[in-house]
Amino acid sequence: MSSDEEVLEQISVETNTLADWLNPINKPLRHKLGLVGLAGLAALPVLLTPLQALNIARAYFFAMFVMSWDAVSGYTGEISFGHAVFFAIGGYTSALMNLKLGLSPLLAIPVGIVAAAVAGAIIGVPALRLRGPYLSLVTLIVPLILAQIFNVYSNIFGGTQGLVSPPPERLLGLGTGKPVMTYYVAFGLFTLILGILLAVTRSDAGRVFTAIRESEDAVSSAGLNPAKFKIFAFVLSAAIGGLAGAAFVHTVGEPTPNALLDLFVSIEIIIAAILGGMGTIVGAAIGGLFFAVFRGFLGGLAVQVPLLNATIAEVDLVVFALMTLALIYFLPGGLLRGVLVAGRRFLDMVSGATGGGGDGEVAADGGTRVSPLQQVRDTWAEVLGGDDDER
Amino acid sequence: MVNVLTIAVQAVIISALYALVAVGFTLIFGVGGVLNLAHGASITIGAFAAYFALTSYGLGPLGAVAAALLVPAAFGGLLYVAVIRQFQDDPILVMILTLVTSVAIEAILVTVQSATSYTLPVLVGGTLQLAGARINNMSIVMFAVSWVILLALFLYVNRTDTGRAILATSMDRKGAFLVGIDSGRINLLMWVLASALAGLAGLFLAYQFGGATWNMGRTPLVISFAIVVIGGLGSIRGSVIGAYIIGTVEVVTVNVIGANLQGLMPLLVLVAVLLVRPEGLFGQEVDTA
Repeated sequence: MSSDEEVLEQISVETNTLADWLNPINKPLRHKLGLVGLAGLAALPVLLTPLQALNIARAYFFAMFVMSWDAVSGYTGEISFGHAVFFAIGGYTSALMNLKLGLSPLLAIPVGIVAAAVAGAIIGVPALRLRGPYLSLVTLIVPLILAQIFNVYSNIFGGTQGLVSPPPERLLGLGTGKPVMTYYVAFGLFTLILGILLAVTRSDAGRVFTAIRESEDAVSSAGLNPAKFKIFAFVLSAAIGGLAGAAFVHTVGEPTPNALLDLFVSIEIIIAAILGGMGTIVGAAIGGLFFAVFRGFLGGLAVQVPLLNATIAEVDLVVFALMTLALIYFLPGGLLRGVLVAGRRFLDMVSGATGGGGDGEVAADGGTRVSPLQQVRDTWAEVLGGDDDER
Repeated sequence: MVNVLTIAVQAVIISALYALVAVGFTLIFGVGGVLNLAHGASITIGAFAAYFALTSYGLGPLGAVAAALLVPAAFGGLLYVAVIRQFQDDPILVMILTLVTSVAIEAILVTVQSATSYTLPVLVGGTLQLAGARINNMSIVMFAVSWVILLALFLYVNRTDTGRAILATSMDRKGAFLVGIDSGRINLLMWVLASALAGLAGLFLAYQFGGATWNMGRTPLVISFAIVVIGGLGSIRGSVIGAYIIGTVEVVTVNVIGANLQGLMPLLVLVAVLLVRPEGLFGQEVDTA
């Protein structure tokens, strides 16, 4: 973030009253644009067919998954390759509470959240003894183990089919019959999670998360315990992932390994977060929405692919893979950062670029700015040894 | 009563196949510092290449082996040159890109070949009686070929100039660069070699699993993953030993406890090892490979 603007923003928060702070007129342009975007999404159902409304409701859930990943991996730099495990635990717990104990979804969802948070602590506490790539390896393994457990005890968990017959009860009697209400429930949860995560990551704790990503040793030497903050990030992220997973199975989705636990789900959310802009939450939200809508769009195409003798809808995974390759190739920093930088440059140009503002590349220590992904990469290189002084 | 000898023979054979897969995986990691999640795709490609060489083109056993080696080798080389080389300093992107590649390969196979299992014609028929255990000759051939390749690889890495260049690159890329080793070429060599080994393992695994399927590469990938972590990322010896640990655990689990725990036990062993010794049993051991 550009320093001047940020500092001014801080000062204005501290000197003005809460009402002033809440007044959107006083916000910087990018926040205004964000609020306009949210308002636009709130008004969107007017333009949508029922099917589209349901699809976008699914996209909101996907975006929630992506945001929960970003809160721990994008901020602290501890990359989780198996975040789907939290969605699955939240979703399956809630579904089982509903199916076996007859709990109403309103009560079952909180149980799912608690279960996911506990799982976050169980996985997080021992895993945090590990650093960088080794932590990532453990997170990659955990969902595979859970999937195996689901298969072994398929009489309870439904095996590879999931808990589809009978499906868990719909929240408040929603579902495919009431697309607009479902849309608003998903949108409301999306906004709630966006708000919570923005508040946490923009707080002092969020700054410590970012500092951990940059240098865990520096955080320790400042007298803060990185493990405490990492566990907090892990449990928070797990609880939010659990909330999203639990609400998902009671609205638009079903508790199946394909939707909640597959390795591909874990990787998809990482791709979406990196595309949107890792370590920003807003980028994760935008990346998640864009990604889910785009995949839905691909799945609906009936255009024939020349060589394969199949329609695009059938090979949507291939097309999707190629698009991901291209996007990572051309926009390694993510959409949000790209747009923000371009927007600043444009505004500077329009206002005649009076000095002082600089080019936004100046960092406090005089070094160059490093993207979150590069910071993670440096940590990994350090842990793995070898070319420690090479970038 | 479970026959101990049968279990032992099974474990020895399946572990050799796993070692073949894991060695390639660990070589790419040792030299490039990246995890190749498309390794499973190389396995599948090898099995299907051999299937078509045998059935559609009638190339015979040697042709099948050649196809299982060459087609995945070309795939690995192409993947490295076209995609991975640009991102090789970024392990996370490489993981994502290789995973996406293998998903694409699987999707293409399902679309073109559908989700059926293709049984390969037997290359070597007959069985052998060994102290009361009946073993397929094919299994013995697979075991022997795997070990010949593993030993040859070991000698190649330790005794030849190129092999020493591989070791040097995995120890210190900058140092290797200073003495004139082109790390790009070494990396390319590793991707080609690892994919070829995986392809051959794919041919063998197709016999072991009873046919070639579009997603047959997944389980061996996860297993080789467990193996190299147990053995220590980047260590050839470690991954052979890791393969024997995992292979034995798996065979014993299936025969003594129950087949439904087959996939679970290796992963639990892995987590236990990771929590006790995160760097693996042999660390990133590069000085003796």
